Amino acid sequence: MKGRGYAVKWSRRLCKRDLGTTACSHQANDSERGGIASRQIASHRTRSTHAAATSVLETLVPSVKTWDEVPGPKPLPLLGNTWRFIPYIGGYSVEHVDKVCLSLREKYGKCVKMAGLLGRPDMLFVFDAGEVERVFRGEDAAPHRPSMPSLMYYKHTLRKDFFGAEKDCGGVIAVHGDSWSAFRTKVSRVALSTGAAAQYTHQVGEVADAFVDRIRETRNPDLETPNDFLNEVHKWSLESLGLIALDTRLGCFESHEGSESQRLIDAVNTFFLCVGELELTAPWWRIYPTTMFKRYVAALDTILSVTLSHVERALKECSVSGSKSLLQDLVTAAGPRVAAVAALDMFLVGIDTTSNAVASTLYQLSLRPDVQEKLHTEITNVLQGRPLRAGDVSQMPYLKACIKEVLRMYPVVIGNGRQLTKDTVICDYNIPKGTQVIFQHYVMGNSEEYFSKASEFRPERWIQRSHYKHHPFASLPFGFGKRMCLGRRFAELEMHVVICKMVQAFKMEYHHEPLDYHVHPMYTPNGPIRLKLIER
Amino acid sequence: MFYRNILKTFFQSRSSYLGRYNGVVTTIGNYRNVIPLSTTRLALKDEKVKVVFKLADGRRLEAQGAVGDSLLDVVVNNSLDIDGYGACEGTVTCSTCHVVLKPEDYDRLPEEAGDEERDMLDLAYGLTDTSRLGCQVTLTREMDGLEVLVPESVHDARS
Repeated sequence: MKGRGYAVKWSRRLCKRDLGTTACSHQANDSERGGIASRQIASHRTRSTHAAATSVLETLVPSVKTWDEVPGPKPLPLLGNTWRFIPYIGGYSVEHVDKVCLSLREKYGKCVKMAGLLGRPDMLFVFDAGEVERVFRGEDAAPHRPSMPSLMYYKHTLRKDFFGAEKDCGGVIAVHGDSWSAFRTKVSRVALSTGAAAQYTHQVGEVADAFVDRIRETRNPDLETPNDFLNEVHKWSLESLGLIALDTRLGCFESHEGSESQRLIDAVNTFFLCVGELELTAPWWRIYPTTMFKRYVAALDTILSVTLSHVERALKECSVSGSKSLLQDLVTAAGPRVAAVAALDMFLVGIDTTSNAVASTLYQLSLRPDVQEKLHTEITNVLQGRPLRAGDVSQMPYLKACIKEVLRMYPVVIGNGRQLTKDTVICDYNIPKGTQVIFQHYVMGNSEEYFSKASEFRPERWIQRSHYKHHPFASLPFGFGKRMCLGRRFAELEMHVVICKMVQAFKMEYHHEPLDYHVHPMYTPNGPIRLKLIER
Repeated sequence: MFYRNILKTFFQSRSSYLGRYNGVVTTIGNYRNVIPLSTTRLALKDEKVKVVFKLADGRRLEAQGAVGDSLLDVVVNNSLDIDGYGACEGTVTCSTCHVVLKPEDYDRLPEEAGDEERDMLDLAYGLTDTSRLGCQVTLTREMDGLEVLVPESVHDARS
């Protein structure tokens, strides 16, 4: 008994080290693997016997290779692999992680180890949709998503007084385990229920109309959208989200320098630019607060304070007007603080994801007049001249297929991931607990192996499934399972409605050099999106 | 006078007898009306239907579910031992509550699969033409005795 107790402690310590540093601990891990596996069976039995059975099999199958054998760029002593991301010297650039990933797939195969990134757990890039499916299906009750350490630091250290004041109130981003699970359960029943989004169709439609008007006005004499078109799309996204998360029309289209909504937009932009830098390059902020980190914290503070003030105001109005909304449902189901934190998380990850997806879709449509015509016919047939109502979008399969197709070829988030909560066999390698597994959806979505005619834009593939090869786990823009995007229903509604309104209003054309995509940190067209919008 | 009293008593007792009898009749009538009605109402509220889950490993799990419950509710309320079933708690973000129905049962379901459900069904392991997500199938009285197949949820080539 004593010996077993010791083994448990020992393996825990090993796991901790796995999280922190590199390969050195894994050899020791090998010799202890039997012990670790048996501990896992005990701890996982109640949740998922299946997963436990799998791990037994995995440890016994002799053909399984070790973590050390996984191919990948070799880390240098001391510098690891971080140097590869240093501009000009390293050859890998953060902005072109998409291309880096494509070349890694070419060079090393379907499973690539990226070890020795300073201050980060080792990563495993997976390019095999079948393996993605296995990892997702084997998930336990509280899967870990590789979190943003900087956001974790903000929530759990810098502002712990706020996020830790009430039990299970950390939110869903950068929170794990039971605390995540408790929060998520409270919110997802409300936010992901199938009718939750549809009730906003009319209001989201009004915001989309305002956006169309605004875009019409800001066209230049050649009828082209201005260079900062993307910022206008951000405003639309923020306005829509304000409506959903805060019951408020923020008035973003009328916003000007220094106004509260512009401050919020700027803060969200800053947050996203910083988060890419802070998370993908060496985390110096852990040692001292860098300028970037200070800007980042200031941006988060702005978002938090603006959100809180709106939640407070919305709460007061709620009790007066008595209208039914997501915010109110959340307050009723879980209390005002949960509602505020949920709103904050929606603002952190719900604005530029949606707006970049919309900008990217509009750009792709502007290159394809035939697709626009088909869309226009579908929309006209469904609406018959009346305004958009809840439920109409479900009669528009081609519209939905177009967005799925854009997100297959140009997913705004090029990869998704999990931090393994147990040793797992992936691509015949035994991958230790704590490793960050990144599913490379951009590469898989554009691979001929999973989609026939992968390089062609064919929305039909999502409608006539049998005519095209298709692996459902290769393209998952919203993820899958217990940690699927919490805002998915709203994001889809917003996108469907605004694309519908734009196609109704304009013929879109693009008459400039084709735009390359870059990781910024959303995967988005690199350069001004100057669409020529001709009135229909 | 004597005869009158006798007659009066007779009539009174008769009328009271009739009255009493009437009362009894009405009471019985009321009972007849109330009891069956109330049982019907109770039955409606709590009407149970039997559902059979056939698992991939050959087990047959029988359970009672109330009209209005989803198949996922039946599994949860009866603590049926189906591994990993309903991981996302009915929020339509996974496909672990996937069930396969007989074609005739599938066609009889009052509601077709919505968009959200169809997107998730696409990710279900062993998808068939008569697949549904258990969390989206609501029991009706007509479904008593429904048999559904629960396909294996974890796809692992090694096992």
